[in-house]
Amino acid sequence: MNFDTSFFLRILVFPGFLFLLFLALFCDWFERKIMARMQNRMGPSYTGPLGILQPLADYIKLLTKEDITPAHAERPLFVLTPIVSFSLFMLSIFYFPIDGANVFSNGGFEGDLLFVLALVTFAHFTLFLSGWSSSNPYSGIGAVRILTQFIGYDIPLMILAVAPALIAGSLSLAKIASTQIVPYALLIPWVFVPFMLVLQAELEEDPFDIPNAETEIVAGYGTEFSGRKFAFISLSKDVQIVFGAVLTVCLFFGGPYGPIMFGSPNIWFIIWFILKVLVVIVILEFVEAVCARLRIDHIVRANWRFMAPIAVLSFALTVLYSPLGRSLMEVFR
Amino acid sequence: MAPEEEIINLIRSELQGNALEYNAPRPRRVSVHVRPGAHREAILTLLQSLEFTMISTITGIDLEEAVELNYHFWCGKAEVTIRTRVPKPALEIETITDIVLGAALYEREVFDLLGVKFLGHPDLERLILPESWPKGQYPLRKDWTPNLSDKFRSLRKKPVRARTTQNKTNGGSVVNVVLGPQHPALHEPERFLFKLDGEVVVDVEPRLGYAHRGIEKAAEQLMFFQDVHLVGRVCGICNVAHTTCFCQAVESVGDIEVPPRARYLRTIVHELNRIHSHLLLLGITGLEVGFESLFQYLWRDREIVLDLMEKLTGNRVMAEFNTIGGVRRDLPVSLANETKKGMSTLKDRMNFYGKVFNDDPTFGLRTKEIGILKLPEASKLSVVGPVARASGVEVDVRKHDPYAAYDEIPFDEIIYKEGDSWARLMVRLDEVAESIDIITYAVDNLPSGPYRVRVPRRMPEGEALSRIEAPRGELVHYVKSNGTAYPERVKIRSPTLANIISFRQMIRGCYIADIPAVLVSLDPCFSCTDRMAFIDVNSGQRWVWSMNDIKAKSRLEEP
Repeated sequence: MNFDTSFFLRILVFPGFLFLLFLALFCDWFERKIMARMQNRMGPSYTGPLGILQPLADYIKLLTKEDITPAHAERPLFVLTPIVSFSLFMLSIFYFPIDGANVFSNGGFEGDLLFVLALVTFAHFTLFLSGWSSSNPYSGIGAVRILTQFIGYDIPLMILAVAPALIAGSLSLAKIASTQIVPYALLIPWVFVPFMLVLQAELEEDPFDIPNAETEIVAGYGTEFSGRKFAFISLSKDVQIVFGAVLTVCLFFGGPYGPIMFGSPNIWFIIWFILKVLVVIVILEFVEAVCARLRIDHIVRANWRFMAPIAVLSFALTVLYSPLGRSLMEVFR
Repeated sequence: MAPEEEIINLIRSELQGNALEYNAPRPRRVSVHVRPGAHREAILTLLQSLEFTMISTITGIDLEEAVELNYHFWCGKAEVTIRTRVPKPALEIETITDIVLGAALYEREVFDLLGVKFLGHPDLERLILPESWPKGQYPLRKDWTPNLSDKFRSLRKKPVRARTTQNKTNGGSVVNVVLGPQHPALHEPERFLFKLDGEVVVDVEPRLGYAHRGIEKAAEQLMFFQDVHLVGRVCGICNVAHTTCFCQAVESVGDIEVPPRARYLRTIVHELNRIHSHLLLLGITGLEVGFESLFQYLWRDREIVLDLMEKLTGNRVMAEFNTIGGVRRDLPVSLANETKKGMSTLKDRMNFYGKVFNDDPTFGLRTKEIGILKLPEASKLSVVGPVARASGVEVDVRKHDPYAAYDEIPFDEIIYKEGDSWARLMVRLDEVAESIDIITYAVDNLPSGPYRVRVPRRMPEGEALSRIEAPRGELVHYVKSNGTAYPERVKIRSPTLANIISFRQMIRGCYIADIPAVLVSLDPCFSCTDRMAFIDVNSGQRWVWSMNDIKAKSRLEEP
């Protein structure tokens, strides 16, 4: 690995930190806009063309706000967790092949899929810690809900996320993405559909936005956060959604590779990548728009009664199907 | 024999000499004056002989040498007022909470504002005034004026902390969580102390009184025609209901005949107001259960009603349409057609929402079989309106005690038997459809003629009780006139005060996530409920609606 300027540029600017930050802000705007249109509203429309700068303006405003740490809060944890969870989500996106290679400008390593999933589980745990350290009843309930929800849904998520690796024959994200001549969403829909549902739960979107159900427990684990810390908490939520979309794109939509590619592939990689991310967000938001929020006992029951067995079954089906799947893909090559 | 006469004969035969005076001044209104101490006997007679008896409220009136208590009961066919006088200075009377569970709060209200002691009441504490309120100050007494600012300056200086009952923890797993006075699920300030075991609600302690404005006392300082606008401010959402009810009471006192056109116009605006209120509530339900799209859609369609309201009355929400003797504006033909068009659009939309409420699986999971209030509990707690009708109690005032033009307009009373949150929402959804039909019928059959009569400012001596079906349930206004332009007493009993007591019954054993969904299915309106006290309350003032009170009400569930 060579530590020259371009390496740092890649990490800090493109396709690393700054690019992903702005992608997250853009996705936040996109999410709000299409959600608003689905609900017959305008959505953000004042800041910048079509309100595209609204999320940026929101964060700048939050950074100027007073930053309060409650007297009873567990101070070190309370201060650290917003930054840590944000960094962890950001770091986990670094391992995805955004422009053909990952941010560290290599093809990744065998098993980085599992590493990324582990990072995200850790990030969820920091969200739990952030609620727990606030020592506020609402935060406490929100934190407990996060643990209940994520412990349950991490298991089917891992099982389902590994199923594409079976067909690709590799646990490397770059390889899974590059071997998809036919997107796995079409090749193994019985994995894709449950995966999207579980992802909805992982991203705390309706009907699974239970840890921060505002009419029940105010802002859940984020209730006590204000100013900069709140900015980082909500930024990490944005990055989390981008992460969910990127994971789906990489595992089921063929990553940055697209059917139309001429000239410099790097430009096309980015275009296809962003387009696919937006498609995934549209799917996520659509489900959110047509559902009411479930209750924690509903989703725990749904998880252990349905999602976990379905995940295992579709994994087993994929194991049996993978030789056929691979030869099917050869046909399209 | 007319039902009024039947009731009079019944009480006369039971009470013999203890009943001093009877009269039935108007159809479906009976009042019986009994000797002090005989009120219990009279009420027992009502409870035992008439199968459907629920308490409406208790009105206390300060007469120089005594306090007059009026116990208002709805007996299925007529509103019976049992009147008795409690002599000063002792001011003591036996309680009726042991025979009428629903009277607990009303007795405390009278105790708080007039200083009448109810002997044997399980928990005779302040209900409305803050705990730091000076002893011996009773705002609704005639010799009390609000110009006692010196006495109350101290109130503002030392806020009294809310009394929190100590945790009776079972092994420390019960957590107190305060919901409100400011909380995203509450659209008006109110405080609920929930005792939670994990995600399950063990108990709840509601506290009223964050929106007190002292409207009853203020009403005595204003003339009748001014009071119409004051009572409209009791509650912004159902302002038409309040003004209609008040105007009807005053018209009964003054024997004023309202022209038929005005009665129909009142009905139209009243029903528009009901649609607006119900759609608002159904939308908020969507918000509370995390179904934001439903909320946005319902509120968009509510604009149809608000636009019609604005064109008809001049205001989107505060209609200021009713006045004593009729209404203030006429309905032109062009607007009548527009109203019909708007109603048919809304009807289509309601069919769509009916499908959503019936079929959406996530919505069903959040509302069906949750917050259950069964028929026997509902009738014992004297709940009113959609809450009662969702439990199968037939209490639609429009049907059983018709006012305005409801005796001439065909419509159905919506009854559901389930008693869960879903049924309470469905009652409202179906009522919107019913209201659309009522409006269309009323517009089609609008009688010609004047829409108001001019009335004098002075009203003759007398009293009247007016009941109407507000969007949230039975609303009671009692007006007493002393022959001047100023009322002697205005008493308002809003539907939420009757309904909020059932919340504890509904919520125990539910999950945290059910709290907003169940609470909203009651359609609580705290500004209605809190209208009675008189004080410039700052945020430090708090008072308690204690457990015992609710226990007295919930006694029926213990074996």
